[in-house]
Amino acid sequence: MTVDTRPGRSRTATAVVAGVVVVAALLALALLSPFPNLPTRAQDGLTLSISVLIESLPFVMLGVVLSIVVQVWVPPGAIERWMPRNAWGRRAVLSLLGMLIPVCECGNVPFARGLLMRGFSVPETLTFLIAAPIVNPIVIITTHQAFGLDDGILIARLLGGYLIANLIGWLYSRHPDAGSLLTERFLATCALQEAGSEEAGGRGRRSLAQFVVELRAVMPALVIGSALAGAVQVLVPRDALLAIGSNPALSIIAMIALAMIVSICSNVDSFFALSFASTFTPGSIVAFLLVGPLVDVKMLALLRTTFRTKVLAGLVVIVVLAAIAIGGVVNLLV
Amino acid sequence: MSESLRGKLATRLLGVGLTAALAAVTLVLAATDRLALYINPDSTWFAVTMAVLALVGAVASFALPLGAEADHGHDHGDGHDHGDGHGVSSRFARSTTGERHDHSTTGAGSTGEGRRGRPGSAVGGIAVAAGGVLATGVVAAIVLVPPATLSAEIAMSRDTGAAPLFQGADTVALAATGDTASFGIGEWASVFATATNPEAFDGDEVTLTGFATPAEDGFALTRLVITHCVIDAQPASVAISGGDAPATGEWVTVTGTIRDVDGRLQIEPASIEAVAEPRDPYEY
Repeated sequence: MTVDTRPGRSRTATAVVAGVVVVAALLALALLSPFPNLPTRAQDGLTLSISVLIESLPFVMLGVVLSIVVQVWVPPGAIERWMPRNAWGRRAVLSLLGMLIPVCECGNVPFARGLLMRGFSVPETLTFLIAAPIVNPIVIITTHQAFGLDDGILIARLLGGYLIANLIGWLYSRHPDAGSLLTERFLATCALQEAGSEEAGGRGRRSLAQFVVELRAVMPALVIGSALAGAVQVLVPRDALLAIGSNPALSIIAMIALAMIVSICSNVDSFFALSFASTFTPGSIVAFLLVGPLVDVKMLALLRTTFRTKVLAGLVVIVVLAAIAIGGVVNLLV
Repeated sequence: MSESLRGKLATRLLGVGLTAALAAVTLVLAATDRLALYINPDSTWFAVTMAVLALVGAVASFALPLGAEADHGHDHGDGHDHGDGHGVSSRFARSTTGERHDHSTTGAGSTGEGRRGRPGSAVGGIAVAAGGVLATGVVAAIVLVPPATLSAEIAMSRDTGAAPLFQGADTVALAATGDTASFGIGEWASVFATATNPEAFDGDEVTLTGFATPAEDGFALTRLVITHCVIDAQPASVAISGGDAPATGEWVTVTGTIRDVDGRLQIEPASIEAVAEPRDPYEY
């Protein structure tokens, strides 16, 4: 390695200066924004996409930082020691991990990738990914602010999210070949990671490498997911979905479709849902609050970085069916 | 440019590059006081802190030699791809029967030369490239196109007919005490929609700014109300009876008196004044 030699050091300095120049150029371009505004509808789509990106970028950064911490800085065995031995117990604990790490769904994906690389199994990681956006303190507070304990919406959301997560973890734990659920690209990243961890020193360097690799994995998906969410919002007429709001069965389907389209962060989706509460059934609101954080278009694009398409299809089917069932029960009871 | 160099540059552009561009946009918006066009000012500190961290990371990443992130940090020689791929996929596999050979090939394929030989990898490669181009295009547009507010058109298309009840019972209770000085259109829309004693508000003087949208008689004074970021924006509006209806989307300040007309609250305008779009066009 040449890092410590004199020419290597000056090369590093040159590279950092180049980095500063590039960042300064980006800042200048963003300040000047030399292009004209787009036609109304396209501009609205872009504005919506930007807002999702600006909103989720800090959470993605937080997720990447946590992923680096879990990967590079926490000593081997430090987390594992606290985990129960049996598979159900482990998943039950992991589905509560979101209570400690409230990173919102976009940040969960890089963090979950860190867990996978650390050696947590695919079903365990899926359990965490599905539970964390719902079973976390911020979401509980905002949902309570929006709905209180009315109609059992808060309780149905929490229990539902917890149950769906553990159901999915259990189903995928029965899969004979969990490695085949992951994308090649992710397996390749793991391979590098595994080899890299044999190296004793250079934690700073490994952190930096992890930073580069994780952002490469997540950012294109996040940008495309946000662009999709923005585009769909200006293209799909909302009245079409809302026309069917009061029918107990159809309203659940409509709210699930809406949840998948609008891609609102689980921290605040209750306030959004609240404005539908007067026209839509409570069960359909619960279905909206269950489906949105787990399998909306933005989240699916992010999950695709790590899991194969067949897993995503499976998740969508399970989550939607479970949400219909839970929403249906709420509609019958309330 | 060789294929491998292009791949290494793409890794940096699509990861750190896109992140740095978005972080730069965030900081510029915050510095020019326009971040509120996109997100709730309550979370500005978080967005700005993380954007600074992203830019510091981006600068630091230049010190990491190109391609080093895909290195093991030390020389393994040529055989490394296959061995590591195998190790990882066996780590994730529950059963070791049957397909072991298959997925070890898969793991190796993605890390290196094995990839070219596999059927279907060309399509996958094109999809990845297309995704990268699309993502870069979107981010370029975000950097180059000036910031804008949502149009009145989208506010109307989002009108569900029901008032957004962000404020809830507290607001209505507060309104009943007469302490309505800080109320915007969002608060008043909640009050108008939910007040059980509309006659109590009859005669209250209000001054409100918003944009005009069409309504049955007169027009509606509308604002987009945001909880967290613009994607959850929902229109809130109050009915303005009579007066000359401004063009749809035009910003006006209405001064008037609240009137209870058969249990439906509306504002009887004393003056309607055209104004420029405010710097903070949304309510939170």
